[in-house]
Amino acid sequence: MDRTSLILIFFTAIVVVLAFLMSARAELTRARGGKILAFVALCVFPALAVWAGAQAQIERSTTTRFCLSCHVMHDFGQSLYVDDKSYIPAIHFQNNRVPRDHACFTCHTDYTMFGDYKAKWRGVHHVWVQYFGTVPKPADIKLYTPYNNRECLHCHAGARTYEEASHHLKDPNTLALVAANKLSCMSSDCHDIVHDVDTLKDATFWKPSK
Amino acid sequence: MPGNFIERRIRWSGILVGAGLIIQMLTLLWTHPLAFVAFLLIGCPLVGAGILLYLYSLAAHGEAIERATEHPLQTPR
Repeated sequence: MDRTSLILIFFTAIVVVLAFLMSARAELTRARGGKILAFVALCVFPALAVWAGAQAQIERSTTTRFCLSCHVMHDFGQSLYVDDKSYIPAIHFQNNRVPRDHACFTCHTDYTMFGDYKAKWRGVHHVWVQYFGTVPKPADIKLYTPYNNRECLHCHAGARTYEEASHHLKDPNTLALVAANKLSCMSSDCHDIVHDVDTLKDATFWKPSK
Repeated sequence: MPGNFIERRIRWSGILVGAGLIIQMLTLLWTHPLAFVAFLLIGCPLVGAGILLYLYSLAAHGEAIERATEHPLQTPR
């Protein structure tokens, strides 16, 4: 557990003690000092604790470990280790083009104003389906909407390797069409091998050194 | 008399806040989507309800004192 979480748990524990103290000794509020203590213990500190807790939970929910903690995501996690350069997620993950600890979230959040919150809301829906719905087979899991080039260009736009790549320059309109999301990076016979979890049984896997 | 009402509400407020924060602490010990959902759907509403009850008790207490001063024989609700 990281230090921030430990500090937060410690702070929350103090607030819990204060809240229960106020609950057990409500008559303390008859004095001025008790009133101030009640305001701090039942309003200011709990609000702070919840705000900090929400930040910690949201940050934690962006980790690869969190995403792969559901059984149905196992194959998608495996696809990050495929030893084949044509697998887009694998090559990003293995070459640190996305932070390994936040690999899923880096590509699967919308880089828009409420993209993070939309992703979280979808995640809550996924939990509902996991426990109360019919869980699809990994190969049947599809994106809600076609993958937007914006998510790729968030990192690749302006990069020399992207702008000077020979296959991007074959047609002078390519980069403009990609930028306008009219030519998909992933479904135009270009980078179209993504997770492809239904072919994993035949794949070989990269083993990291540690 | 108004004191009894505010104290009863503060007791409940403390219980709600404490319970919500205990759930929050437990969810921080576990990295899993269920922990996130428990925090969002159980922990946050409990703490929120506790805070709101406390604030309501303050507002209602002030109102009750005002009423008791104006009509000394009326029992505050």
